[in-house]
Amino acid sequence: MSFEPITGRYLTVSVAGAPRRIYVEEAGAGRPVLCLHTAGADTRQWRHLMNDAAVTAGNRLIAFDMPWHGKSLPPEGWEVEEYLLTTEAYIETVLAVVDGMGLDRPVLAGCSMGGRIALQLAALHPETFSGFIAIEASDFQPAWYDIDWFHRPDAHGGEMGAALVSANISPHAPRVERWNTLWMFMQSGPGVFRGDLSFYTKDDSLIGRLCRIDTSKTPVHLLVGAYDLTCTPEDARRTAAAIPGASIAVMDELGHFPMSEHPEGFRPFFLDALARMPVARADAA
Amino acid sequence: MEAAAAAWHEEGDSPQDPEALVLTTFQEVQESLNATPHLLRLGRLFSETVLVEVDGQEIYLSFDQGRIASVTEGPSRKTPWRFALRTDGAALEEFWRARPEPGFHDIFGLVKIGRGRIDGDILCLVKNLRFFKEVMGLARMDEGKAA
Repeated sequence: MSFEPITGRYLTVSVAGAPRRIYVEEAGAGRPVLCLHTAGADTRQWRHLMNDAAVTAGNRLIAFDMPWHGKSLPPEGWEVEEYLLTTEAYIETVLAVVDGMGLDRPVLAGCSMGGRIALQLAALHPETFSGFIAIEASDFQPAWYDIDWFHRPDAHGGEMGAALVSANISPHAPRVERWNTLWMFMQSGPGVFRGDLSFYTKDDSLIGRLCRIDTSKTPVHLLVGAYDLTCTPEDARRTAAAIPGASIAVMDELGHFPMSEHPEGFRPFFLDALARMPVARADAA
Repeated sequence: MEAAAAAWHEEGDSPQDPEALVLTTFQEVQESLNATPHLLRLGRLFSETVLVEVDGQEIYLSFDQGRIASVTEGPSRKTPWRFALRTDGAALEEFWRARPEPGFHDIFGLVKIGRGRIDGDILCLVKNLRFFKEVMGLARMDEGKAA
């Protein structure tokens, strides 16, 4: 029997003037890398990389559950609130975690909606980070399905959401990780996936901000899976082309949840992405 | 899967009678479903008729509490269906490979790449999406490796 190197703690920060008790996991030492999960999921998507000694030898991987997700409870009063994630609340939450944990210019690695907000932060708050790894990330896509499907009294939103996002998982993914990945969607709270998708499919504010990103100061590297139907390689290429100096890698055998659905396949792409990010400053403890 | 599904993937000449092959393959799907307990459990509340159209050939899959009660060739204007999946034979052949190319790996992928169309009561499909997708995947080669 042996324990994994991942440790978890709770951090309370303030978002929109109210407390948010946030669950944070971390592993490794060295340059901080803040990892953001996709819509409708949680930090478990990053567990493989956080258990990978080759990744954590020089990097301190930190992942947290967004409020309403995983072990981060919704805020007080959630029972009468409609959960609809906004760009502003998402940015404020990420910045509050960086500040609350005292992170010195971490690399920001986000997937899907996490990738979208990573690019927003690259445009709006680059000084807080040292580089950006935007995974399955694009400027904007409208939904190719009715997001209201996922919050109905007559159906299980988690099961429907999982069945839908299974379209984004590569047939090359190991069966066990395919189903582990889908389980997180099945566990998502009522309306949470819908609320995340509201942000992801309706907020197009990034488009006009891509040109603000200065990759000479903070590099941007995009990763996209060939089997991703939501953020297709074409979507990611379009986005990368709009960011001068951004680089991109297409992962031929991966889908929309690469770190979770096929960790071994994703590993070399993530290591390459990390190698493209600046090393920690000498004064960064 | 048995002979008909395997015939989709044989090297060389195309099948002599592709319409018969489609029908036979769905009849084999019907048999496979009967031998797949977890799908019978997942589909126990699903009793609907689904139209699958391949190269214009209509096939009606009539589900009864998770089992396919009948596989009937159309066209039939007397057979009401809840939702329909329309595609082409070449796309379906790729869909049924163990490792389909991107887009061919999922019924919504077929729609996204312009090789499929879904009509009818989409919400009914989505409510039963895992079940229906796995039923469609029963003809997939080497299922043990490609879920």
